[in-house]
Amino acid sequence: MGISDREVSLSDEDELQEDQVNEDYESESESELEDGDVKLSEPSKDSVYDTEGLLDKLGDISWPQNLPWIDKLTVDIDQAQEVDVNDDLARELAFYTQALEGTRQAFEKLQKMEVPFLRPPDYYAEMVKSDSHMEKVKGRLLAEKRKIEEAEERKKAREAKKLAKEVQAQKQKERAKQKKEEIEVVKKWRKQRQQSGFSDKGNDLPLDFEDGKSFERSSKKRPGVSPGDRSGGKAWQGGKKGKMKKRDFRDSKFGFGGKKGMKKQNTAETTNDFRDSNKGGASGNKKRKR
Amino acid sequence: MGKKRKQREAEKVESETKKGEDAAPERPKRTLLGWKEKPQDDENTVSPSFRNKEKVLVTCSRRINFRYRHLMLNMVSLLPHCKKDNKVESKEIKGATLNELVELRNCSSCLFFECRKHKDLYLWMAKCPNGPSVKFLVNAVHTMEELKLTGNHLRGSRPLLTFSTNFDNNAHWKLLKEMIIQIFGTPKGHQKSKPYHDHVFVFSIVDDHIWFRNYQISVPHNESDKVSRGSLEKMTLVEVGPRFCLNPIKIFGGSFGGPTLYENPFYVSPNQIRALERKPKVNTFAKKVKAKTRRKMHELSNPLEPDEFADMWKE
Repeated sequence: MGISDREVSLSDEDELQEDQVNEDYESESESELEDGDVKLSEPSKDSVYDTEGLLDKLGDISWPQNLPWIDKLTVDIDQAQEVDVNDDLARELAFYTQALEGTRQAFEKLQKMEVPFLRPPDYYAEMVKSDSHMEKVKGRLLAEKRKIEEAEERKKAREAKKLAKEVQAQKQKERAKQKKEEIEVVKKWRKQRQQSGFSDKGNDLPLDFEDGKSFERSSKKRPGVSPGDRSGGKAWQGGKKGKMKKRDFRDSKFGFGGKKGMKKQNTAETTNDFRDSNKGGASGNKKRKR
Repeated sequence: MGKKRKQREAEKVESETKKGEDAAPERPKRTLLGWKEKPQDDENTVSPSFRNKEKVLVTCSRRINFRYRHLMLNMVSLLPHCKKDNKVESKEIKGATLNELVELRNCSSCLFFECRKHKDLYLWMAKCPNGPSVKFLVNAVHTMEELKLTGNHLRGSRPLLTFSTNFDNNAHWKLLKEMIIQIFGTPKGHQKSKPYHDHVFVFSIVDDHIWFRNYQISVPHNESDKVSRGSLEKMTLVEVGPRFCLNPIKIFGGSFGGPTLYENPFYVSPNQIRALERKPKVNTFAKKVKAKTRRKMHELSNPLEPDEFADMWKE
């Protein structure tokens, strides 16, 4: 049995192994407990088990048998099933249920004895962890909660954005369709009128593009613009935008192509001509700190 | 045996000197105003003379790790009936000096944290004058300072001790259970103890290790005084810590020594584990050397034919 164990556990060293193989080493299987605690697969044969001695000592140190329970405060709870040591969650759950069951039984006993056992909310005394430590704990819990919430919000925002995009695309399509339809309707009406010779009597099809909305102002707020204004509003006043001005200027200066350097650039007229340049702003080397 | 007789005698003497609590009828006490009847003792306590005067001495060895030192300090805060002492030199662990120290401080048991090689923590639990002692290897230490253990409880309140029923299966577990009850249970009426019971210790045996947990009992606040069925259901437990796992190594008959009563057959010392882990690495060099010599022998025994083209590019 010993030799086979050796083969099994130290298989990669086979004929090159020349160390003394100890009893303990060869009989170990690698069933790891936590933190590098290894169990022997077969218990070593020479372990002492002195049952009478143990029970003797137990009798020596025991407290008297009928000591009232309140002195000992012990509860024995049955472990329902075998708990796998390596399964952390199951193990902790087993401990938790043991504690819970134990406290329930203990509290029932204490209740019968009419001993107060729960701390009233106004009882302030020194606790085992200091207040500053509990503040840190609270801070950490809150931080975790906030992280989770932020992650949720970000996810929701992403989803909402996707939806919003879709909704917007749809709305635009609808609007375009509406516009087309209205134009079609007007065209048809005009054709009809043409065909019927611009007579105004007895129109079969009333102007059905007027569905009562013709004189309604659109809900878009455009302050400062009177209803009949077709100028385009404030954005289009004051001539063209800056960039358009630059383009125009350059066109007039450099015309429609031709050789690059043949024309004079710095003349008396152009020294004070600043229409072209980028006025102030972010000119120059952006990397230089200002 | 003799010890037991002495104990019984001591009890008898004590009970005779104690007033007014004996079951046997005595003469009424004589006072100035007449004879005063003893107050009737209608409780059925058998040994009223017994008072739990347990005192635990908590010390550690020198060169203890920070984590284990915090564990020791956590134990000090959990046990109001303990006395903390200075670090003990390594020479004093063997021999009788620890026992003397315990006697000096007038304690009846001792929790000694021995840290070896800055890595392994051994916990000695001993009942001091003559009692048995146990040496444990401590694993899986989480102290109370970890922020994930969020509970808190009164400092010095008496804990409820819960044990799993497999403590009653074997003799050595029974002995350990008794020792744990005496050392970890706060005596009733201790000066530093606080009245309410708001935390619970869990000792359970899983995989031949003793696992320790400490939970705070939290009940929603509006009904703390009158406990109805409902609030017992709403009770939750929050872990306070610390957490550790004990692997019993040996049980001795005396305190910090004496005849071995129990040896754990499954115990492997951490040194052996580390040696095992290092073994394969040691052998790779030996293998290499051997492989080299093998190659040489092989080459010598099977010489290559002379290469025809070896001189082709020689200038």
